[in-house]
Amino acid sequence: MFEMLFALIIGFGFGFALQKAGLGKYHKIVNVFRFTDLAVLKFMMTTLAVSMVGTFALNSLGIIALPAIPPTYVVGNLIGGLIFGVGMAGAGF
Amino acid sequence: MMKLLQQKEWSPYLAGTLLGLVYIVSIAVAGIIPGASGAFENIGGLIAQAIYPDLAKNTYFQFVMPPGITTAVMILLGIFIGAFVSAKLSGDFKLQVVSDPQWKRVFGAAVWKRWLVLFLGGILLEFGAGIAGGCTSGLAIGGGMFLAPSAFIFIAAMFISGIPTAWLMYRRKY
Repeated sequence: MFEMLFALIIGFGFGFALQKAGLGKYHKIVNVFRFTDLAVLKFMMTTLAVSMVGTFALNSLGIIALPAIPPTYVVGNLIGGLIFGVGMAGAGF
Repeated sequence: MMKLLQQKEWSPYLAGTLLGLVYIVSIAVAGIIPGASGAFENIGGLIAQAIYPDLAKNTYFQFVMPPGITTAVMILLGIFIGAFVSAKLSGDFKLQVVSDPQWKRVFGAAVWKRWLVLFLGGILLEFGAGIAGGCTSGLAIGGGMFLAPSAFIFIAAMFISGIPTAWLMYRRKY
């Protein structure tokens, strides 16, 4: 029960951040593939940097354990990503 | 503070920092890597169970993405609420059938065109995310933050196909 409620709150923060970054808008997403607006990349890379530093700092201090990391299966990740990119550039989401 | 919450758009660095903190809290408190695409698969499994149970018994739904109201579904629900509150606070919220000015300028205001591309694009997005093991949030960021190779293969592939797709759609307007 706690986990479900907590997930809802995490989702709230997630949706809030994405909306504020303008990522709910078609042109923001598609323009990253046209190299006219790199907001999506700036946003993603900032998230990566912040979450990476924070999580590993807490882990090194022994406060938290790392979760299961998304598995690598090259062909699947690659083909999935290729299909995903077509959808992302078309739909703009 | 209120003024900041009412802004229509934040710098991507500020919004990215907020999302980064959300990831840290989520992992620290519950060990969950937030993602968006998995929820659709959980819900899809539920629908399959209801209308065609045999389909829900395949390996994918049994072992990879079990049907059900999971934490991923709750995150998805939270995303809707969070984005809605954010848009309402800034007065950015509007109900429109073709919402994007750039789309209208380039492809016209025809509703069917936008909705068809959205629908087909949505299928590809979810299908691709299913094969790759996640989407931009769960795999690219959630894996990238642990330097998982899968995340960077995925990001590269996403651009390899996304760039020509955008080019083919825009042609001279690219």
